[in-house]
Amino acid sequence: MSAASSAAVIERPTPSAAAQDLPASALIRCEAVGHVYRSTLGDETQALASVSLAVADGEFLCLLGPSGCGKTTLLNMIAGFVTPTSGRIVVGGRSVEGPSPDRGLVFQDYSLFPWLTVAGNVAFGPRMAGQSAANRKTLTAELLELVGLGAAADRYPSELSGGMQQRVAIARALATDPAVLLMDEPFAALDAMTRGALQRQLLEIHERKRKTIVFVTHNIAEAIALGTRIVVLTPHPGRIAEDIRVDLPRPRRRTSNGFNTLYERLAAAIGVDMAD
Amino acid sequence: MARVSFDQPAVLGALGAGGFLLAWEALSRSGLVSPIMLPAPSVVLQSGVALVQSGELVDHVLASLWRAALGFLAGASLGIALGVALARSPRLHGLLNPLVQTFRAIPSLAFVPLAIFWFGIGETSKIFLIAWGVFFPVWVNTFIGVRDVSPILARAGASLGATGWRMLAFVVLPGALPFIIAGLKISLSIAMVLLVAAELAGAVYGVGYLIQLSQQVFRVDQMFVGLATLGLMGFAADLAFDRAVRWLFPWICARAGDARRDAALRRERRRVGAWTQESFTP
Ligand SMILES: Nc1ncnc2c1ncn2[C@@H]1O[C@H](COP(=O)(O)OP(=O)(O)OP(=O)(O)O)[C@@H](O)[C@H]1O
Ligand SMILES: [Mg+2]
Repeated sequence: MSAASSAAVIERPTPSAAAQDLPASALIRCEAVGHVYRSTLGDETQALASVSLAVADGEFLCLLGPSGCGKTTLLNMIAGFVTPTSGRIVVGGRSVEGPSPDRGLVFQDYSLFPWLTVAGNVAFGPRMAGQSAANRKTLTAELLELVGLGAAADRYPSELSGGMQQRVAIARALATDPAVLLMDEPFAALDAMTRGALQRQLLEIHERKRKTIVFVTHNIAEAIALGTRIVVLTPHPGRIAEDIRVDLPRPRRRTSNGFNTLYERLAAAIGVDMAD
Repeated sequence: MARVSFDQPAVLGALGAGGFLLAWEALSRSGLVSPIMLPAPSVVLQSGVALVQSGELVDHVLASLWRAALGFLAGASLGIALGVALARSPRLHGLLNPLVQTFRAIPSLAFVPLAIFWFGIGETSKIFLIAWGVFFPVWVNTFIGVRDVSPILARAGASLGATGWRMLAFVVLPGALPFIIAGLKISLSIAMVLLVAAELAGAVYGVGYLIQLSQQVFRVDQMFVGLATLGLMGFAADLAFDRAVRWLFPWICARAGDARRDAALRRERRRVGAWTQESFTP
């Protein structure tokens, strides 16, 4: 075990812990999961090698890695859209068999239902669950207030900016009161200013709602700004290179020493040039 | 006097139409052509007014509208139902698709004699023909819309608890709606074509029948009234359809507006790009 490079950064045991070493109490347990994509022509792409990962309740985990390292694949397996070709995933003590409203999703591309208003989008999950109209209304109002979009309730998604759409998507994912929030580069398409504002808002939501969040990003600064823990994936095939607990005080300033030390370490782990 | 720009589309359009009517009027009165073969617009208007006053025209229009509406409704419902079914069930698709494609390749108008032979010249043959013609575009569009529903939206729906029929009703169908509506809109004009074809082949009422009857009694002016009425009916149906869509599904228009805005932006960029290129080439 290497010495911690900063007082604020504490190393986890072994990054590639074997499946049986995962704590049984963890909310999400990826037990040696791997995935191989098979094309119709028979070509095989190993997107993910055996990945073992335990996410504790309330954790804000950032999955960091370069393009093509299998971040989306791993997230989609936790979501239940992609079945692992090896290993298994357990969430809340139950093996993941498919998507469930207990795992909320926020996608990179805009995924709001264009035929529903903002309020209709947020109320969609509760409606599928058969909640009463009165319940849906109070819940929707509360969640839109939480993401600061109370005034936009009756607008259609096409009338919103990208940042507003992603905030609605977050409110919609929260509406089923999921134990886990899975987010796949939700802010990647936004400009730097909007992105910063949404990051702060997401932290506030994490604080208030105490949700477990798995957040995929290929932006090192974003991972440091948000995560209580950062897991670095490297490609070909995707595997865990680093697993770092982040205890830097908030708000995390880009100019602070701890931020920069961690940044360099993550950049080295991913193998990117420090030029950018 | 207020300045009127001759470049305004409305002004240009009115000028074009007015010029056409004046030329037609002049030609009919000039003696160069027989006014029986080509009655002047003023004469056509008079016969139109007479037909309206006698109540005849209203009866013809109502008969035609009723047939068109029933046939359209039947064909559209079947088209949507089968489109959804084939898009959702690969087995059903394999079973029925070659058959439907074969029937689709035959021009619907060719079925007029058969329909009349089977169902007579009553309402059934007309409604059948219209439904037949309307069915295919609605079916094709619904099929494509449902088959190609956005996978992201389907995933969003699934993660929010939409399964089975709820997925179909609350995610897939609304997602396919722009396609379905495009199919319905195309079918509107097809319904008109088949309506007239069926009425020309034999009827007791209807605008097509009015045209047919007028030909037999050499009333070319009344034929023109029939033609104008058909034009107005098609125009009104299109307008009513657009209004209904905008009223029922405001989001579709919002998106269309989006696309239009994007296209305009792209055009603008191209124009500016072209301009800068030109201005910088020595
Ligand atoms: N449906 C698929 N069929 C075949 N190969 C796939 C498929 N989806 C992903 N892959 C491959 O699996 C690997 C991991 O893909 P994945 O989308 O999980 O990466 P990612 O880390 O999310 O990348 P990005 O940052 O670009 O989103 C890539 O090499 C990709 O080409
Ligand atoms: Mg990805």
